[in-house]
Amino acid sequence: MKLAILGAGPGGYVAAIRAAQSGAQVTIIEEREVGGTCLNRGCIPTKAIIASTELLSRARELDSFGLESSGEILPNLARIVDRKNTIVATQIKGIRNLLKSWKITLKEGRGVLSSPNRLSVSSGSGPMETIDAENIIVATGSRPYQIPALPFDGKRVLSSDHALGLTEIPKSILIIGAGVIGCEFACIFRELGSEVTLLEKLPRALATEDIEISEVLAREFRKKKIRLITNTNTDRMEAGADGVHVVLIDGREIFAEKALVAVGRAFNSEGIGLEEVGVKKGICGEVLTDGKMQTNIPGVYAVGDVVGGLLLAHVASTEGMIAAANTLGGDEHMDYSSIPSAIYTSPEIASVGLREFQADERGIKVKTGHFQFRALAKAHVLGEIDGLVKVVSDALTDRVLGVHIIGPRASDLIAEAALAVRTGLRTSDIAETIHAHPTLPEAMQEASEDVSGTAIHIAKR
Amino acid sequence: MNPDDLRYHKEHTWVKVSGRKATVGITDYAQEALGDIVYIDLPEVEAEVEINAEIGEIESTKATSSIIAPVSGKIVEINEDLAESPEVMNEDPYGKGWIAVIELEDGSEVDELMDASEYTKYVEEEIK
Repeated sequence: MKLAILGAGPGGYVAAIRAAQSGAQVTIIEEREVGGTCLNRGCIPTKAIIASTELLSRARELDSFGLESSGEILPNLARIVDRKNTIVATQIKGIRNLLKSWKITLKEGRGVLSSPNRLSVSSGSGPMETIDAENIIVATGSRPYQIPALPFDGKRVLSSDHALGLTEIPKSILIIGAGVIGCEFACIFRELGSEVTLLEKLPRALATEDIEISEVLAREFRKKKIRLITNTNTDRMEAGADGVHVVLIDGREIFAEKALVAVGRAFNSEGIGLEEVGVKKGICGEVLTDGKMQTNIPGVYAVGDVVGGLLLAHVASTEGMIAAANTLGGDEHMDYSSIPSAIYTSPEIASVGLREFQADERGIKVKTGHFQFRALAKAHVLGEIDGLVKVVSDALTDRVLGVHIIGPRASDLIAEAALAVRTGLRTSDIAETIHAHPTLPEAMQEASEDVSGTAIHIAKR
Repeated sequence: MNPDDLRYHKEHTWVKVSGRKATVGITDYAQEALGDIVYIDLPEVEAEVEINAEIGEIESTKATSSIIAPVSGKIVEINEDLAESPEVMNEDPYGKGWIAVIELEDGSEVDELMDASEYTKYVEEEIK
């Protein structure tokens, strides 16, 4: 089977490898660099920078750990970004080698569908090339959404792409949008020493997370002196030579050296021949697919950010593997019910499954259990006591429907929760599972116990 | 001990009334139960607060706890020093550890609160 894949991000390259493993003859087309947004402009670069800011934050606490240093530890953003670039370059090489090892052909250029079985690829210099394939997977991803009133210029008005390349720490930065990207950058810049203002038009930061998680995060922002303004909208915005000036609808004015616009992502579904071939799209330009990741055109599949929904690398990769299997005659369906997500704020946030407010909206009766990290010895040992674990379970069956964590290593702790939600475990299953002591996952056990009021390290209420 | 000139709310806050203004804080029992206080989320000046509603949060090394308004009214002053030195609430809960000043909406609410001896008894019951 000949398979062509448009886009070599975590959706496309994973689909390519999976299909090649099953014997398909795969060509993958990439206009920019393999690894997509995740590796080049998203997950990996932000986490590489956060690794530096996190160390910086810990270094400021050296004294409380009984460690004395003779000099001040200061961030050098240019070098932090260099380190980030090295990490990204290494990973790019890794993906290229993987593709090569599976005999996947990588075409560098812009691919456009000319029929459900044919693509043309043009690179800057070379002649147009035609690729025939029995199946095509569209995995073209997304890009930062631009607001017309404040277009990106890369100097004053930044997208997350630009922000990852800054080599000088701005004195002040205004971040528009308190979603995942906005909140992560707020923590990064605050740690580096910038004055940070975060604007959100919804009533709370991270509006898709459980309400209690947003509340704890808001408190952590207050501690860090990140100014979070919710329930607001901008009335006027101007980028000038000395910075950005924004007037809010309530008349408040904000000046900042730079603005980062993080209000969402736009889908890369234009100019690649989808309309010509007749592939259906949704109102935001996302490509519509069925549960097997196939579009309305037989043989044309789509995966990753470009299909909308949850714009997460691991969702893209899973969709990619499912699409790959289905192009080879499989009958696999995507299940979105137990997808964990991790947000690298400080402290970290991770969640899986149902939020309590979603349960209310759907009329599902739930019980909740909570456990504060500050009640856990290991959290004190690490010097990271802020945050909590919240378990949401079905009131009738005791099954774990959702788990929401804000606190140390939340992104690691969510794995157990994802297994519980996916396999329909009961809170008693987690409560009765012996968790090693002293470890952070004990918080998961205690929160599960708390659903029935039997957590050992919570005082009688 | 719990000072005689204060009135006490069952959620372990106290008020000291002077004219239309009431200074508010947490009780000695509350600070003892919380342990070492590391952070306080103060209410905002100008905010309207209602009796029995949360006006802020306290984090200690072992718990987080809501601060419950003992009276209704408008916050006219907050103890800014607590942001830098929250431990003052442990050291001097009835003095330097005061949290906010509320301009009273309805003075009769204060009469409903416990006096020192009632509160002392109430706490003894709670410990049992």
